[in-house]
Amino acid sequence: MRAGQPTSTEAVPALRCRGVSADYDERRVLDGLDLDVGHDEVVAVLGPSGAGKTTLLYAIAGFLALSAGEIRIAGRVVATKDDATPPERRSVGMVFQHYALWPHMTALEIVAYPARRTGASRAEARASAMTLLERLGIAGLAGRRPAELSGGEQQRVGLARALNGDPKLHLFDEPTAHLDSALRGVFREEMASRRRETGVASLVATHDAAEALAVSTRVALLRDGAVAQLGSPRDVYERPVDLWAALLTGSASTITAHSEVVGDTLALTIAGAHVVAAGGAVRSARAGSLDSSAVLIRPDWATLEGPLGGIVRVVRYEGPHTDYTLETAAGSVIVRELRAPRFEPGARVGWSVQRAWVLAEPTPRP
Amino acid sequence: MTDALDRARHLPLAVSLVILTGVVLIPLGRLGAEVVGGGWASIDRALFDRDAGRAVLHTVLVAAGTTALALPLGTALALLTERSAVPARSMLRFGILLPLLVPAFVLGFSWGQAYGPSGLTDDLASLAVPGLFGPIGIVLVQTVDTAPLAYLIIAAGLATRSEPDLERAARASGASRLDVLRSITLPLLRGPLVAAGAVLFAASMEAFAVPVVLGVPAGFGTMTTRMYQALQRSAEPAAFGEAIVLALTLVVLAAIVLAPVERSLRHPGSATRTGGPEGSSVGPPRRSGTVLLAGAATVYLLLGVGVPLMAMVLTALTKAAGLAPIPANWALTHFADALRGSAIGALGRSAALAVAAGFALLALGGLVSWVERRPMGRSLGSLVSLTFMLPGSAVAIALIVAYGRWLGDTIAIIFIAYLAKFWTLAHRPLSGALDRLPPDLERASRASGAGRLTALRTITMPVLAPAIIGAFALVFLFSLHELTMSSLLAAPDTQTLAVVTLNLQQLGDRGATAALALLVTVATVGATAPLLVVRHVMQRRMGQGA
Repeated sequence: MRAGQPTSTEAVPALRCRGVSADYDERRVLDGLDLDVGHDEVVAVLGPSGAGKTTLLYAIAGFLALSAGEIRIAGRVVATKDDATPPERRSVGMVFQHYALWPHMTALEIVAYPARRTGASRAEARASAMTLLERLGIAGLAGRRPAELSGGEQQRVGLARALNGDPKLHLFDEPTAHLDSALRGVFREEMASRRRETGVASLVATHDAAEALAVSTRVALLRDGAVAQLGSPRDVYERPVDLWAALLTGSASTITAHSEVVGDTLALTIAGAHVVAAGGAVRSARAGSLDSSAVLIRPDWATLEGPLGGIVRVVRYEGPHTDYTLETAAGSVIVRELRAPRFEPGARVGWSVQRAWVLAEPTPRP
Repeated sequence: MTDALDRARHLPLAVSLVILTGVVLIPLGRLGAEVVGGGWASIDRALFDRDAGRAVLHTVLVAAGTTALALPLGTALALLTERSAVPARSMLRFGILLPLLVPAFVLGFSWGQAYGPSGLTDDLASLAVPGLFGPIGIVLVQTVDTAPLAYLIIAAGLATRSEPDLERAARASGASRLDVLRSITLPLLRGPLVAAGAVLFAASMEAFAVPVVLGVPAGFGTMTTRMYQALQRSAEPAAFGEAIVLALTLVVLAAIVLAPVERSLRHPGSATRTGGPEGSSVGPPRRSGTVLLAGAATVYLLLGVGVPLMAMVLTALTKAAGLAPIPANWALTHFADALRGSAIGALGRSAALAVAAGFALLALGGLVSWVERRPMGRSLGSLVSLTFMLPGSAVAIALIVAYGRWLGDTIAIIFIAYLAKFWTLAHRPLSGALDRLPPDLERASRASGAGRLTALRTITMPVLAPAIIGAFALVFLFSLHELTMSSLLAAPDTQTLAVVTLNLQQLGDRGATAALALLVTVATVGATAPLLVVRHVMQRRMGQGA
């Protein structure tokens, strides 16, 4: 695992997990996990289902006990193997996957609830709740109960509730899993503006790579209950630790090629032809000259012009772009073009590589 | 505070076990010991006496007949309301469950007023159901009385086991409506069908109200009516000896019938289904067919419940037997007669008992729901569920054997009987609601800064409120209706309203009986209906399905 450094200059991170292990039904779900979230950071926890994302959030919020390790929130130890601060005293605001809105209350009462728990009077709590609902553009729904709200509206009420308790750390469990794509965009913008306004640290669990890359300052890839890679969105997308990490963060193909790092660039020999691509750099997974190693190519790193040859096997039109799956001497490659399809399956085409990444030892695919 | 809660962790389990032992296990143990202590001679005398042996045979035959009629009826009604585009679905559902609101002895008595000799139809059209007083009548009325039970079990089974999509998949694969019923729906329902059959059989065996109203006048005895008559002659030791042997025999018979389905009784499936609109008809609606079936169901409900209740009302209102039931002959004299004796006191006693049992069992049901979610208490809920299947007569006689010396002839022993028999009626709704309660609701409240007790007070309890009201209503309703145990346990000054009504009926005063039976029915419906309405409104506001 690579330890990423929090981008914050603050000495005390909003969240610090050290060696956190947790069991569920006698199965180890979190296994020695380390993770820091700086005081103004948004860290996305990206992983396939079953990787332990929700378990991690529940452990941080205080809904399950640790088997080992330590969790600190704003410098204060809130959980160890033997001791746990109850959830209500951990200063977290959580947005639940299925929103968990209380069916017997109105939106206003739900949002006012956390403020009431911190000792605010009914009037004060309602006033602050109303302000939040206004900021989120749903003040008109204040008197409705959850059963009368749409999914997107429920989600905003859940968000408003999480914001109204003056939390030190926000926890989001698959915040957009049940929203349609238009609402997801709205939610991401809200996340971004909220971060600018409040500067409160957030941890977002998601299985959606595009969302993880879009909302976060850093991304943690979660595999088998531990962090497999941690880095900026560009880091994890352009320099994945292995094939599993590469496929978790987006579409990719691997070909067999001879590669040589030359300064910032990568000199590739693919099926006898030579190309020079970006992606050498200093932090390449493997340096120097390598024979027939696995080279990772994202669809957007390749073009349908160039010295390399291939045959179109599959054409997939997705609106903004078209993906071609090429059969080449070095293996199957997906190439993306930002235009409508211009080749039929079976066509013989030329292609090239603008950027590539030499993978470390092969690992199992996710 | 957290520590205190943790330290008290085993207290609820201990309390529930002590109460269960006291109200069920000790009495049953004492009953068994008493029978064994009496030796073979008393068993032989009780069971192989010609009359007693015949009572056992009658009980089994009536149960078999009732099951054979009520199971297909309940199944057909469930398929009609849950699997076809029937018009006025919710009205029909309500109508089908309506007999549950009518006490069994009221149903039996009102059938006599409607279809018996010199009953309403006899007077109007010289039509009477032959053999109404006797096994045929008992089977018919018990069918109407128990069909809602089968309906509930099968409808729940349809909701959990046979999801509409499974049937739609069969239709899409080319199966006709009938093919689907035969090859998909009924096979998936095998479990619920077997369970419903066993429950109907057991419920009919332990039934007392209908046999005592329709069987005793014709000299047709079942085990429960024989136990009742034996206790009427309680001065004779031999009679009581026979009663305890019959009680234990009834427990054994119920155990034999229910043992194969015991698992499904302990763990009824929770109602979840994949999508699909309400009622989920499979395939395009066929208006004419379903209208016809809905019409048939309505006629059944009218003949089974509507006409008899109307006949009872007319009997209660008409001044004297033999007069035509027209407004000119109406008077309230029967009501005055009915209320003259011990009825007023009994009404208060019944209401107090029902309310007390309701609150006590809310506490006990909540206790067991909590305990069974902890590692050591898992099986406690199952055990409590099984107590409902104990025949009421056996529970009552076991309580007399165990505690009669101290509590006999007091209202306390009736109260204990209600606790023993109805515990699960409160436990099941609460436990089911807890199962359906998303755990994230409480977590969200804790994450919002609420402590354990605050979360319980502000979130969990309000969300569970409809289930709490429903559980109370159920116990309240069953307690007001209860006749089997109350009639065995009541002393002259501890009679409940149901017992007073039965005594009037046994004395042969039709008018006064009808008046009092009407009051009992109106009182139960009048007290229960508002609770159910409030529960319904709360559920709707929270977006919970019925």
